[in-house]
Amino acid sequence: MNRPVPLLTAGGLTKAHGRTPALRGASVELHTGEILAVTGASGSGKSTLLHCLAGIVRPDEGSVTYDGRRLADLPEQRLSELRRTEFGVVFQFGQLIPELTALDNVALPLLLAGTDRARARALAGEWLERFGVRGQQDLRPGEMSGGQAQRTALARALVTGPRVVFADEPTGALDSLSGEQVMTALVHTARESGTAVLLITHDAQVAAYADREVQLRDGAVVPLEVTA
Amino acid sequence: MNSLRSDLRLAWELTRGSDRGEWWRVALTVTGAALATGFALAAVALASLRGGHQVPVAAGLLDEPGTRSGVIVGLLLLLVPVLGFLGQCARIGAVHRDRRLAGLRLAGATPWQVRRIAALETGLACLLGSAVATVLSVLLLLRQWDRPTALAWVGIALVAVAVPVLGAVAGALALRRVVASPLGWVRRIGPGSGRGPGLLFLAGVLLVAVLALLTVVTTSTAAPDRPNGRVPLTVMGVVLVVGAGAVWLSGATAKATGRVLAPRARSAATLIAAERLREDPWSAARTHAAVLLVTVVGTGFLGIRQVLSDVVHSTRHLAEPASYYTTGLDLTGAAIAIAFAITLSGLAVGTAESLATRRRGLAAQAAAGVPHTVLGRALLLETALPLAPAMLLSGLGGMTIGTGYAVLSGRPAPWAIALVPVAVYAACLLAAATSLPLLRRSVRPGELRYA
Amino acid sequence: MIAMSTRHLLLGLLATGPSHGYDLKRRHDERFPQARPLAYGQVYTTLQRLVRDGLAEIEGTDSDGGPERTMYRATEEGARELSRWAGEIAPPAPFVANEIFAKVVVAILSGGDPAGYLSAQRAAHMERMRELTALKAAKGADLATVLSADYALNHLDADLRWMSTTAARLTTLTAEVDAA
Repeated sequence: MNRPVPLLTAGGLTKAHGRTPALRGASVELHTGEILAVTGASGSGKSTLLHCLAGIVRPDEGSVTYDGRRLADLPEQRLSELRRTEFGVVFQFGQLIPELTALDNVALPLLLAGTDRARARALAGEWLERFGVRGQQDLRPGEMSGGQAQRTALARALVTGPRVVFADEPTGALDSLSGEQVMTALVHTARESGTAVLLITHDAQVAAYADREVQLRDGAVVPLEVTA
Repeated sequence: MNSLRSDLRLAWELTRGSDRGEWWRVALTVTGAALATGFALAAVALASLRGGHQVPVAAGLLDEPGTRSGVIVGLLLLLVPVLGFLGQCARIGAVHRDRRLAGLRLAGATPWQVRRIAALETGLACLLGSAVATVLSVLLLLRQWDRPTALAWVGIALVAVAVPVLGAVAGALALRRVVASPLGWVRRIGPGSGRGPGLLFLAGVLLVAVLALLTVVTTSTAAPDRPNGRVPLTVMGVVLVVGAGAVWLSGATAKATGRVLAPRARSAATLIAAERLREDPWSAARTHAAVLLVTVVGTGFLGIRQVLSDVVHSTRHLAEPASYYTTGLDLTGAAIAIAFAITLSGLAVGTAESLATRRRGLAAQAAAGVPHTVLGRALLLETALPLAPAMLLSGLGGMTIGTGYAVLSGRPAPWAIALVPVAVYAACLLAAATSLPLLRRSVRPGELRYA
Repeated sequence: MIAMSTRHLLLGLLATGPSHGYDLKRRHDERFPQARPLAYGQVYTTLQRLVRDGLAEIEGTDSDGGPERTMYRATEEGARELSRWAGEIAPPAPFVANEIFAKVVVAILSGGDPAGYLSAQRAAHMERMRELTALKAAKGADLATVLSADYALNHLDADLRWMSTTAARLTTLTAEVDAA
């Protein structure tokens, strides 16, 4: 069988926070355009896995390879650039700058990439439109509902046309209806643009939006076929 | 009495169980309170003297009532930057402390209890600082002065008690809103108006000014052959007007800078800085008010100093030896330098604090790939942008004092002092830059884990 | 899902006007997208029973160019019965026994692999949840589809949660079952 080369591969990741081990040899593959759910109980190492895969944290052992490049070989500045241009991140809350309007928040990654302000705002407006929050574009995060803020955060993660979006409990702070809107918006956009999504969640109904699920337990991936 | 003891124990437990930021706040508050007590004690001890005396320090400057009142005013003016510094210290960990006290309120504490616990927390730190400073000052005083008068002792006792009491009152007042709405503060979104501490600071400045004026009026019994209280009074008036203007101006320019720049910003750093200023201009005003006051005084003083030393060195017949005058000038210069140093530390503490409270958001920005350099630049711009126009005005105010004095004395205007505001501006940026290493630590991914 | 009364469903569909069996089946499957489709035989037997009980009656026949069809219509009594049924609450979980739990207990009793069974069952549940989610998240999905998928999803999710907590407590359960 000739499987395509994965876009993102992690092998044997270990990472400890102080004396508490968070990852103990986790391995994951993410293919182009695939939506992968990583599930597991609280403290199973989900967030740490995402941080390692997105190059936010360097693992103690093991390696992460993105598009043929080993993240460990890249200096911090290049990692930061990679996260800005090829990756998008969405957290449970708090990733929007509280002082900026929704429109400026979404325009920010484009500004950082050197896009002209007017053009960045125009593009940002289009993305807010796609996520149904165009009407809230002049509000600041504190003035929006949780669902609107998360859809704005999604627009911000996707505005640069990334190849991978990392979403850490993106609906964790939302009620089920707002969560459904956020997930539908994420899945549709990702499918249309062929963006791969790594979705961290403890909620099976959210994980069901993915193509595939990987379960973490005690910092390692639970094998698919559990045999007696 | 019993409830006070339980409050006291609770205040102690809360302080003991708190994180490093809180200990920083306590340590800095103790330092600030000690400084305030020291300056106030010196002023009180000097003010207790009546008529001529032989004071063995400062080249005879303290012998005469007229010059002595000048020194007292100088000491009291030093209280202004100390107050500013204490204000900054109160901000360290303010968000966490507010949440904690709001939590107490939700757990069923009455508003009065919460206020009392907060007052005790601040008051205890001030009491420690005041006690240390009082003991040291009294030891020093006894070596210089065989038998201090009863008046001096009363004054010392008053100051030693007043500092912690005032600290406690300020601590309780700063909490008005927490006490009123515990829920709003527990799930706080976005900054409040932040005007409370600014108003407290202004009230403190006014109190010091009134005290200084009283000192001038009561201790300088105008001798016919010497300038009476009129000149220092006028100078102080100008300083106060310009200073108060600077406080207002700093806030207003911060707001205006934000409003003008935000729509036009081309880079991410400018955009972030401008929007932050537009959202919360008064935190900048608070931080910068003391800087501007010091600039006015410093610029004006350097002008006056140049003219005076010119006079001293060119005039043959002086009432006192030249060292009498130069010591006076040097003492004033030292006082202003101390004030400047305190102010700069206040600025650095303020910047560090603003970073610490935003660290989760900053970590999220860094995770999203916003480069550290952009975050650092935005941080510096937040200080640099609003300070520039305000610095210009206070520099002009100082120049007016300095050159005005020179013109009145028929001397050439000391243009070189125009460099002072520039130097102060540079020093402020450096002080703000001291928190850049903290930025690097603040954006650790560890901050992304759920609080 | 709770077993539903086909009688009342057909009565409900007849409430909009006379209809024949084939049309009733088509409308049922349309309106309840994720439910088990009705079999023709079942529709005709149920209609005959409704007529026998006086809840529906034959309106006449209609050929419409094709084969001849019998048209049915609800009676007054049928309408009364329908409104009684619609207002009646469904008994909340009258029996707590379920197949998954039974299989876990049987696996323990017979020395099987309850953990392996739970894990496989979980995977099957997840697979079904993914199908239903894809159905409801598809562009242009109508609200009836979304709501019926949601109903099933929430029940599958409840099963799943129950399975996770059970899997984590298998050791204690095994001890308890073996001791009894």
